[in-house]
Amino acid sequence: MTTAINIIQGHSPALIVVTFLLFSYLTPVLDIWKKNWCAPLAIAAHVIALIFTGNLAWKVFTTGTVVYHMGNWAPPWGIEFVVDYLAVFMLITITVVSLLILIFATKDLGHELKDKVRSWYYTLYLLLVGAMIGLTITNDFFNMFVFMEIAAMAACGIIAIKEDKECVEASLKYLILSAVGTGCVLLSVAMLYMVTGHLNFTFAAEALIPALELYPNNILVALALFSAGFIVKAALFPLHVWLPDAHSSAPSPSSAILSGLVIKIYAYAYLKLLLKVFPGDIFSIVPIYDMILILASLSIFFGSVFAIVQEDIKRMLAFSSIAQIGYVFLGIGLANQAGLTGGVLHIFNHALMKSMLFLSAGAIIYCTGIRKIDQLKGIGAKMPLVMGVFSVGAMAMVGIPTTNGFISKLYLALGTLDAGKPFYLGVILLSSFLNVIYYFPIVINAFFGEPEGEEGNEIKVKNLPLQMSIPLLILAAGVMFFGVFPKHMLILVERAVAMF
Amino acid sequence: MLMTDIALKLFDNMYYLVSMVLFIIGFHTMLTHSNLIKKVIGMNVMDTAIFLFFVSTGYVTGGVAPIIEPGVEQTYINPLPTALILTGIVVAVSVTAFALALIVKLYHHYGTIDAEEIMRIRSTE
Repeated sequence: MTTAINIIQGHSPALIVVTFLLFSYLTPVLDIWKKNWCAPLAIAAHVIALIFTGNLAWKVFTTGTVVYHMGNWAPPWGIEFVVDYLAVFMLITITVVSLLILIFATKDLGHELKDKVRSWYYTLYLLLVGAMIGLTITNDFFNMFVFMEIAAMAACGIIAIKEDKECVEASLKYLILSAVGTGCVLLSVAMLYMVTGHLNFTFAAEALIPALELYPNNILVALALFSAGFIVKAALFPLHVWLPDAHSSAPSPSSAILSGLVIKIYAYAYLKLLLKVFPGDIFSIVPIYDMILILASLSIFFGSVFAIVQEDIKRMLAFSSIAQIGYVFLGIGLANQAGLTGGVLHIFNHALMKSMLFLSAGAIIYCTGIRKIDQLKGIGAKMPLVMGVFSVGAMAMVGIPTTNGFISKLYLALGTLDAGKPFYLGVILLSSFLNVIYYFPIVINAFFGEPEGEEGNEIKVKNLPLQMSIPLLILAAGVMFFGVFPKHMLILVERAVAMF
Repeated sequence: MLMTDIALKLFDNMYYLVSMVLFIIGFHTMLTHSNLIKKVIGMNVMDTAIFLFFVSTGYVTGGVAPIIEPGVEQTYINPLPTALILTGIVVAVSVTAFALALIVKLYHHYGTIDAEEIMRIRSTE
């Protein structure tokens, strides 16, 4: 028995991905004769993944970085999985948030999808989460490309599964633009492989230092293509065009996972490769950090400005995501201890708050069928829980103390001062004001506004099922908890950032 | 540098040159044409260009496939890019299939496969 546990423990970096892939293939099989087993099965996959994550986190904290060689092939040839502090941080974020979204989805999907496709949704969902986890821990360029494509296809799948006009169109737009993104990344991988002869991140990083002297143009083109690819995938400002349609038309749980996790995973991969693989000397040739800072601040500004004019609540949240991914890139661009801490911490914090906001928007749509912001007047009295949770999320977005948004904004602000770039502190403050402009009217109108319309024409409100209210409450509690006691997450993030 | 020198250098790196030209053709087709099928074709041309580029990085002039016969001295090509691109082709095929399926759905909804036409229909609705 103990030997079996030891064997399983030794393989946990691979098994965590395999679990999701295996269960995602089981769901369509089960769909044929035991339809109502699919949802518990998907939850079971997440619980197993949580156990593996806990195990990996414990191992990383006690013995240091965990390295796993696929099929026992040693690194320069085989595929390597590396779990370090940063990867543990992402693993915790992904598994916890996606489990909560999945619990919400089990009830919400019955309302949004046709019966026929409901269990297929779990297949795509598990595939997406598995691909994201693979992307987090892989240490190999080509493996990264494959996981990126799996994630892109599954993400397009969970948008298009609703099969109405907007979803199919948004999904196609996303598919084509993400094909451009992965195409650029693959070309950049080819260019790096040309000059280094390695696909492994660690070996490529070593080989790139002498290669930069010999073939600087090759590496610069690779860096440019690579940045363009990841910026399309992460939806930074000028290349964000696919995001608003995709995130607003999809079913609410899909919107939550796409906005909360999927765009972050590309920001994370970009951060990891930029700082770990590309040699430090390249930054003296091109001012890539300054470019990232400019794109990030444009993204923060325009994301918020576009969000103000939206009428649809989910579309507004989608534009707000563009602004928030700007914060993560701002942290990358500052490239100092405090800035990176803020940026990386914002990955976790924003995953909590944006998935919470999308889920509460989903709950409003589930109970009342309202999507327009100006029809939400007076809804707070009828749905106190959902609007309460929404208010917590709105406050976290603005960055009011005691919510977790404050902590990451504080670290980003400290980072701008450390870097001697107070202009970007102004950007952060301006964006907080803009956030107030579009989030607070909704909250104020919902609680203090008088509902419009004649008497007897009242909005009918369905009861919110327990499976939908519990994830919302846990997420809201998380937002408050990590705002008041940020210590635990900060320890992890600071150790993760210290690696660079 | 003389024009002839540049031309000679480009000719020496024929595969890279052709793959870059193909990449730009594909990219341009994908972004400028409003016909969705043409967009998908552009995507495929772009992917193929990348595959050609990747495979040619592993090619050695005069090399053969690395099937080692004892006692025969030969130069071998690098088989790794070829093996990787096999996976890349599978990925590209599945993306194409998915995109075409979505286009069929869009055609059912709008009766056209022109992106601008669809935008026009949506704005008048």
